[in-house]
Amino acid sequence: MSRPVSESAPHPLSVASGRPSLWTSGALLAGLLLLYAFLVASAPGDRVQGVIQKILYVHVPCAFAAYLGFAVTGVAGALYLWRGDERFDRAALAGAEVGVLFCTLNILTGPIWARATWGQWWAWDPRLTVTLILWFIYLAYLLLRSFTEGSERGARFAAVYGIVGLAAVPLNYFAIQLFGGAAMHPDNLEGDSLGPGMGWPFAISVLTGMAAFWHLFRLRVDLETRRAALDFAGESGPE
Amino acid sequence: MNVLLAVLWKDLLTEWRSRDRVVAMLVFSLLVVMVFHFSLPGGASAQARENAPGLLWIAYVFAAVLGLNRAFAVELENDALSGIALVPADRGWVFLGKAAANVAVLGVVQAATAFAFGLVFDLDLARVALPLAGVVALGSIGICSVGTLFAAVAVRTRFREVMLPLLLLPLLVPVLSAAVRATASLAQTGEVGFAPVQLLIVTDAIYLIVSFVGFEYVLDE
Amino acid sequence: MTPAALLARGLSKRFGRAWALRDVDLEAPAGSCLAVLGPNGAGKSTLLRIAAGLARPSAGSLTVGELAAARRESRARIGFVGHETLLYPALTARENLLFAARLHGLGDAGERADAALAAAGLEALADRPAGALSRGQAQRVAIARGLVHDPDVVLLDEPFTGLDRPAAERLADRLADLHQGSRTVVLVTHEVSLAPRIADRAVVLAGGRVHYTTDAAPRDGPALEAAVAAASREAA
Repeated sequence: MSRPVSESAPHPLSVASGRPSLWTSGALLAGLLLLYAFLVASAPGDRVQGVIQKILYVHVPCAFAAYLGFAVTGVAGALYLWRGDERFDRAALAGAEVGVLFCTLNILTGPIWARATWGQWWAWDPRLTVTLILWFIYLAYLLLRSFTEGSERGARFAAVYGIVGLAAVPLNYFAIQLFGGAAMHPDNLEGDSLGPGMGWPFAISVLTGMAAFWHLFRLRVDLETRRAALDFAGESGPE
Repeated sequence: MNVLLAVLWKDLLTEWRSRDRVVAMLVFSLLVVMVFHFSLPGGASAQARENAPGLLWIAYVFAAVLGLNRAFAVELENDALSGIALVPADRGWVFLGKAAANVAVLGVVQAATAFAFGLVFDLDLARVALPLAGVVALGSIGICSVGTLFAAVAVRTRFREVMLPLLLLPLLVPVLSAAVRATASLAQTGEVGFAPVQLLIVTDAIYLIVSFVGFEYVLDE
Repeated sequence: MTPAALLARGLSKRFGRAWALRDVDLEAPAGSCLAVLGPNGAGKSTLLRIAAGLARPSAGSLTVGELAAARRESRARIGFVGHETLLYPALTARENLLFAARLHGLGDAGERADAALAAAGLEALADRPAGALSRGQAQRVAIARGLVHDPDVVLLDEPFTGLDRPAAERLADRLADLHQGSRTVVLVTHEVSLAPRIADRAVVLAGGRVHYTTDAAPRDGPALEAAVAAASREAA
């Protein structure tokens, strides 16, 4: 396994160059949010569920964003173990934090919708349950990181855990599907259960969710990069 | 392979000399059985019998976590873990040796606990003893694979006793759901379906492979 | 197999925010004996652990022979005696040595363990549990453990700890003998007075950096002591 010969902490000057791309992702997000707000407000209400169905436009994008975050954590962690480049570690951390944020939103909006449509706050259906388990896994990931206080060894531990966590996702799906509660989730990802006029709002909401993830992710990576730069600058002073 | 056997031998011999880990796990398990019996309604009723397989596996997981923590706490004395990390071979073999020892020690405790459960909940487990042993073994492999990997991690963080269950339990959902399902069907019908066993095998395989590879990184400083 | 040289280039190691080693360059040519001296917290143990393959560098490199110290092939040639004994208290001295021999894949593990015990004069303690040994006895078993697979590179971290003066001097003589056999030895110690008996070169570390090196035979004890004292003051 090769190791970079030079310091892998970034030179302080290179941090500044991250700023323009933050403006870009922020602007993109702002634009999409406007479009999103308009489309969701004007989207037709569902015949059966009424206006509460619009929570779909929040709940589903959050799920996508959460899974994306966790995938980033697993993959970036693997790359960190392989290459030793700390930027991968920062990406893994950001992926987990932003992922947990969206996962929490997903878990909070789910019961609101469930109560309105199925009459109960919670149901142990496959998708909900797996999302809950995933939430626990990535919370444990964040706890592990905080209990190892930013050391290289802690980063390595977290990377291994992130990879196992990602591997556990498909396993959990099979398990819950085989043995879990009855499926109550609408099979909406197949597309035909969306009524007419909901296609565009849905697509834009997913896109907005991705943009939100991207922007928050970049913000978090930037923050972490600056912190690492501070540490690096602190050490190069005279003894 | 030699490394695997050497580590397995060493772990079992060390355990045999003091037997403290296995005794602690056993006593703890039996206490759990007793607590379940008193705190859950139904005593030895049919409803209680339905819940019994789930409770049995909860007891197993608690005992396993206790044993896994101890397995690595032993290695921290005199920095013995470094002695193992020095091995001039893939450290994954060390992992397999330790995981095998954990499965063996856990197995002893599981047998005794199953016996106690059978008594308390009026389940006739003896007639399905062999297939049950198979299911329990598959479940233990799943628990001890990622369990051994993350015990090595947890024992070197702050709050080590708390860290392991936090890390481990969410990962064990596939193992536990399949194992409980299989145990329940064995206890009730004497047969076990293919689906739970298949899930156990797949999960065990994936967890073993990932842990084998990951152990190398976990032993570095 | 040709004896291996130990070579560190720009070696740095960080733990959290603190740098234990910064930009360390040093060399122990094949067959030499290098003493690594310096005050507490200088990074000496960290250096040794990286050389043993127990830790990876944060930057720079440390090679044993041609290969990085962290590689499996390097670990096969290295014998490590750490700050702690690495012994299992519940196992006997012989069993501990047997285990170490097996970890190194030695087919004749039993004979090797017995031979190691004999070489260290420890036969009488063979069946005593390691937890029941005195500090000095445990230290001798720990050293036997590090040498059981007859490595070409021997790394020792403060081997004189817990030994009284006569025992320390006996150990120093034994280490000097070891070195005669064309092994490369790296010895970390803060017993500066013992270094000249064994080493033919020395490096002084303080605050994670190299402050002084000499590759002339450092028979001059007082000069070494002065160098260590100076380094401690600078790093403080």
